[in-house]
Amino acid sequence: MNDTQWPRYEVFQQDKPDKPHRNIGTVHAPDAEMALQNARDVYGRRPENYNLWVVPSEQIFSKTAEEMTLDPGWANETVPEEGTAVPFAVFTKSSYRRAMTHVQYVGEVAAKTAVSAMQKAIATYTEGDPFIWWICPLYAITRTQENDIESMFAPAHDKLYRLPNQYRTVAAMRKIKRESGEQ
Amino acid sequence: MILTPERQQALADYLLALADDELILAHRNSEWTGHGPILEEDIAFTNIALDEMGHAKIWYGLVHKLTGDDPDRLVFFRDAADYRNVQMVELPKGDWAFSLLRQYLFDTAETARLPYLAQSSYPPIAAAAAKIRPEEIYHLRHTQSWVKRLGLGTDESNRRMQNGLNDLWPYAQQMFAPLPGEDLLAAAGIVGAGTAVHAAWLNVVTQHLTDSGLQIPANDQPPTNGRANHTSHLDALLADMQLVARLDPKAKW
Repeated sequence: MNDTQWPRYEVFQQDKPDKPHRNIGTVHAPDAEMALQNARDVYGRRPENYNLWVVPSEQIFSKTAEEMTLDPGWANETVPEEGTAVPFAVFTKSSYRRAMTHVQYVGEVAAKTAVSAMQKAIATYTEGDPFIWWICPLYAITRTQENDIESMFAPAHDKLYRLPNQYRTVAAMRKIKRESGEQ
Repeated sequence: MILTPERQQALADYLLALADDELILAHRNSEWTGHGPILEEDIAFTNIALDEMGHAKIWYGLVHKLTGDDPDRLVFFRDAADYRNVQMVELPKGDWAFSLLRQYLFDTAETARLPYLAQSSYPPIAAAAAKIRPEEIYHLRHTQSWVKRLGLGTDESNRRMQNGLNDLWPYAQQMFAPLPGEDLLAAAGIVGAGTAVHAAWLNVVTQHLTDSGLQIPANDQPPTNGRANHTSHLDALLADMQLVARLDPKAKW
């Protein structure tokens, strides 16, 4: 299905300074600044939030282990390497476990093309035996700044009513179902 | 700073005006929930409306401290004639350009007022302003981003924004009309002088609206300066907002 809305941006969220950025979803936005704001409003409503990145989805180059098995020659399609190398951010996914289904930031490589950056990423970041790799040039990342924390994230600490555990709906629903004879 | 009976009355009136503005605008903007122009903005604008309702709660809490009035009673059991909001916030939501611009004009007014309140000689106001200010920084970042993009966007978005501005501009000036007793409060350093807040606001919005390809309308005379005067739109809004609470005034929530 064609997406006729604004361009898509991938959103990466960092809970704490010592945690990696994790891909938590996408937003539509007309430009990077609005994408950052939309990311904050859609994904930054919980108290855990330290930093957000947004990257235009079209700037992400991705490979899965399965794709590479089916197309072993994928890296041969490379274009001639010219110019100087630029830094790329590398993201991997290494687990199907429910709490770890995110593609997360693992580090950087420098390369002249996306294909060679991907090859370097796969060779460099082997920990955890990843099966999905994403890369994007660093310049494609738009980030919240240190001084955005106070206005963008800190107010959520006083809004616990947003959290599902503030509502006893699970117990209440069970009771209603029990009383109405449903299983 | 001593809270004389005159100052206390003036302060309660001032805080009630702030609270009513926030509440009515929040309720109006909640009408966009589920109807925003795009999903992300639906969520963003609903967040802002919720924040403003939170600010209203803070100001009603300070009214309660001064007068003993129960905030729930103030919200759900006053009729339009007893509300003290400006007319701008009670106007129907109009199109997206209108609602967005209204929120922008309101955010800039709050942002102009809050630095004075943050230094209030009445500590509860200073504490409330400190809590509200970070949220307003974000509201303003969001609404001013949109004003610029729509003002400089397409012919249609510019036309809608200009139409909205022409309608809103006179109403917006009412936000700065002095309240009875406000001079007493300003002299005691409890709130900022309305004229200074108005001048700061005018500077900021004139610059940004002009940069956004919009013309500042010539008509800057609000239809009324009295906060007891309302349009019939407020009756309809209150009928909706107060319906459930009034069905059973003794119900426990």
